[in-house]
Amino acid sequence: MTAPVTDGRIVVDDLTKVFRGRVRAVDRLSFTVEPGSVTGFLGPNGAGKTTTLRMVLGLVRPTGGQATIGGKLYRHLHNPSQIVGAALESSSFHPARSARNHLRIMCTVAGFPQQRADQMLDLVGLSDAKKRKVRGYSLGMRQRLGLAAALLGDPRVLVLDEPANGLDPDGIRWLRGLLRHLADEGRTVLVSSHQLNEVQEIADRVVILNHGQLVRSGSIAELTAGTDSVLVRTPSPEPLRTALEQQRAEVEQVDAGTLRVKGLTSQHVGHLAFELGVELHELSPQRFDLEDLFFALTQGGQAPAGQPPAQVPGRGAA
Amino acid sequence: MTRLIRAEFLKVRTTQVWFWMLMATIAVSALLVVGGIAPRDGVRNASDVPDLFASSSTAFIVVFVLGVLGVTTEFRYQTFTPAVLQTPSRWAIVTAKMITYAVLGMFYALVAVAVQLAVAVPWLSSKGINVDFGDGKVQHAIIGVFGVVALFGIIGLGFGALMRNQIVAVVVGIVFLLILENIVLAIPKVRVVWPYTPNGGIQAILHTTGSTEVTNGVHLLSTGGGVIVLLLWAFIPAIAGAAFSMNRDIT
Repeated sequence: MTAPVTDGRIVVDDLTKVFRGRVRAVDRLSFTVEPGSVTGFLGPNGAGKTTTLRMVLGLVRPTGGQATIGGKLYRHLHNPSQIVGAALESSSFHPARSARNHLRIMCTVAGFPQQRADQMLDLVGLSDAKKRKVRGYSLGMRQRLGLAAALLGDPRVLVLDEPANGLDPDGIRWLRGLLRHLADEGRTVLVSSHQLNEVQEIADRVVILNHGQLVRSGSIAELTAGTDSVLVRTPSPEPLRTALEQQRAEVEQVDAGTLRVKGLTSQHVGHLAFELGVELHELSPQRFDLEDLFFALTQGGQAPAGQPPAQVPGRGAA
Repeated sequence: MTRLIRAEFLKVRTTQVWFWMLMATIAVSALLVVGGIAPRDGVRNASDVPDLFASSSTAFIVVFVLGVLGVTTEFRYQTFTPAVLQTPSRWAIVTAKMITYAVLGMFYALVAVAVQLAVAVPWLSSKGINVDFGDGKVQHAIIGVFGVVALFGIIGLGFGALMRNQIVAVVVGIVFLLILENIVLAIPKVRVVWPYTPNGGIQAILHTTGSTEVTNGVHLLSTGGGVIVLLLWAFIPAIAGAAFSMNRDIT
């Protein structure tokens, strides 16, 4: 059950999918997912995330381009569940079969020992329910079962479609820890999501998609470079402003007593105020918000910037 | 391939359909013997015995449905997705299923024959008719039942793979096998194709006594011809299913 020798890099190269000759679901998409990191795969509904993941996994045939895992097409992988673990939809279980039997079947196909099924059910916290039929499972339990199935072969690469869907806050925290741990072990973790705050917590890198095209990809640090700011409230903004501008900071007057400072850390700003003897009422670092960036980048998609995302009725209950 | 076949058997064992299908097989087989012996015009001498045993081939309909379900449930519950993720080759999946359901068919045939023997042998001997297992025709009937029922496991699979939709596949399959084929036999000129239908194949394989003329101008094929007809009904849809229907994008 050792990790296979291939490196776990996912390379999507000029990938295109046209459904029924008309709908361009994915349009000349290229990006790379690196091992040892959690990569968030983001985009509004209908952006082509799921179609892309399915092309990476060999379930959907690309119209053009290709996607490789460790340099190979998915369908050329030998015993793929040892290399790639995938959890796509939470509903792909026979309702009359128990969780344990689902995993035992997968173990049989891949030649893993049957105990592996129980180990994975322990790992995802389903031991108590493992003999129950999947019919009675909640969405969160199905997500956990899907994750157990994905982890069965101790894979080098994990591809998860909306894994946090249906998990309660405890479950989400647990998932975050698990994905972090898996990435720290050097695995490749690709997670699609529409829950942007979640992704910001989990991911090191993001790939942002809209209308089937790449909008932006890179590490969160790269994407957020220059977007972090420090909010300063002071009764005497003018001397501070002058001092800050001498330090080449970008200063924006928010209102009479408030400045937004870009390009300096809060420590730096605080120290400067101390040296000047300027009284401060607030000094707070403003964290970059992935959601803002996302809506700015996907403007013209389903959720224009400045508008709160519409609540889809029943989402997460399907 | 061994792993895939073992996994297919595990799939069958871990839901309850096989059990209810087995009950159906036992009930149908028992009823057919009773219906074959009890009436006044039922089995009255040893030459009627092969046809009595050939009637256990009726288990074919149960195994056909089992085969249809074996592939359509994978589509219905989307378990086809994890299956293909583990085994990207549709050919490997279909081959494993064909072997599994052929073996399963033989198991059901065994049950059907066993039920018939258990009811018929003591009953007939009480009527003074001895069942002679050394009789070539009795052997022909029993072996024929095994072959027919096993092949119907594969016919069901192939049909399910082509149709994909579970309910449509079961209903259309049963209507075709039990109703449409009889209508075909009733229409002049069209009826000449009947020997090449699945039922035509079954009758050709199991025929041991009497005339080969089914109805006006329609003659059964030879045993070998019947085997070929059923093999074609088994393999052509299964191969077409693997090549086209199961090979579609899984979205």
